[in-house]
Amino acid sequence: MPLLEVSGLSKAFGDNTVLRDISFSLDRGQVLSLIGSSGSGKTTLLRCLNFLEQPDGGRIAVDGRTVFDATATQKLSRAQRRENQLTFGLVFQSFNLFPQYTVMRNLTLAAELAEKERLRAARASREEIRAACAAVQERALDLLAQVGLSDKAEVYPCDLSGGQCQRAAIARALMLSPQILCFDEPTSALDPELTGEVLRVIRALRSDERTMIIVTHEMEFARHVSDKIIFMADGVIAEAGSPDELFGAPQSEKLRAFLAHSRHGEEA
Amino acid sequence: MNFFEILALLGNGCLVSLSVFLLTLLFALPLGLLICFGRMARFRPLSVLFRFYISVMRGTPLMLQLFVVYYGPYYLFRIRLSELGSNWLFLAVIIGFTLNYAAYFAEIYRAGISAMSAGQYEAARVLGMTRSQTFFLIILPQVFRNILPALGNEIITLVKDTSIAFAIGLIEMFTRAKLLASEQVSLLPYLVAGCIYYFFNLAVSFTLSQAEKRLSRYRIK
Repeated sequence: MPLLEVSGLSKAFGDNTVLRDISFSLDRGQVLSLIGSSGSGKTTLLRCLNFLEQPDGGRIAVDGRTVFDATATQKLSRAQRRENQLTFGLVFQSFNLFPQYTVMRNLTLAAELAEKERLRAARASREEIRAACAAVQERALDLLAQVGLSDKAEVYPCDLSGGQCQRAAIARALMLSPQILCFDEPTSALDPELTGEVLRVIRALRSDERTMIIVTHEMEFARHVSDKIIFMADGVIAEAGSPDELFGAPQSEKLRAFLAHSRHGEEA
Repeated sequence: MNFFEILALLGNGCLVSLSVFLLTLLFALPLGLLICFGRMARFRPLSVLFRFYISVMRGTPLMLQLFVVYYGPYYLFRIRLSELGSNWLFLAVIIGFTLNYAAYFAEIYRAGISAMSAGQYEAARVLGMTRSQTFFLIILPQVFRNILPALGNEIITLVKDTSIAFAIGLIEMFTRAKLLASEQVSLLPYLVAGCIYYFFNLAVSFTLSQAEKRLSRYRIK
């Protein structure tokens, strides 16, 4: 059974239909890259998966559990909504780190709040809560080491480079152990010389058998890191398949044109 | 009568001014946030109501508002002011100042909140934070930092505005200075009062700049 199943997803902003009947599935540990020109709907699709936009139609299921169904009538409880939300993690194009907190606090804040809430509901003792917070701290340190920012734990985001910010943001998204980690053009806001370090970190995560969805304009990266590529055009999936299929033998005229364009660096 | 004798006589009034200042801040800062929420509410009638409130509070003189609050119970409900106890005068001043300043603070908060990028809300949301956690832990600290200079302006104005309380007869510093001046036939009491206001504001400015310095250990990119 696939880990993620999206079926018939659609979304419109007013009269403007941005997504039309999007269906695909993804297995555990797979990496999916969403490519396509600006305005093709790939970022909206990612935002729908992360509940930042409400789709107008369709269904999203993770691990056999429905996390979104446009036809559902009953309202979800806050706890259910939160659980669904945390099934996905999202790394933003512009990092969106919290500027008033250190890198460490950026990582631990949400995780600590969630742990405290959970333990308080279970009437845990103060010692247990303290131990849980210590575990969160430890986990944050591990993740910072993983993204190469051990020495930046107590630094504020304003004193980091763009690449370091994005690596911190990746570690923050990993703190809550999402089943599916999403990236929204993770290197588009970076200077060219800084994209390498971020792409290396993402590539290293792949070896951890994490399921990931990446919206990207880095075609070389998409080709090498992905198991599956979806090419979107005008709000629909124009073509989908393995990197070799899409990059080696593009079927549609649109994809051929898009690939030719990005090879000339116009899309980068 | 020399400078220091006048200073001693003004001392009592000075304390009254200080309490008007501190109590107004204490109540108007949180009330302003609530008014701001009302003003920014998606439910239109509520937002219109608070917009009207703010426009009245900013569009009419504070002195007039103090009169309305002070004499309101009598004109509206025929309650004799003497029945309201000896503290009513002071209480009316605090209520009037709080209602007025909260309206100004609300607009400053609103400017700060509107300027926040959607990205901060979205980041908190995908991390599973609740709406109140997002507002109080992520948004408000940044808003506060950004609006501190504007807030500081109002706070300094408030120090000077406390003298308006004399209009309904509160014996604060300015009222005392006025009495002393006519008694002594001298400008000196006004001069001394002016000095006290000035140094009071110097202390307020210093505190504000310290707060700004503390908050600027980080920058908002």
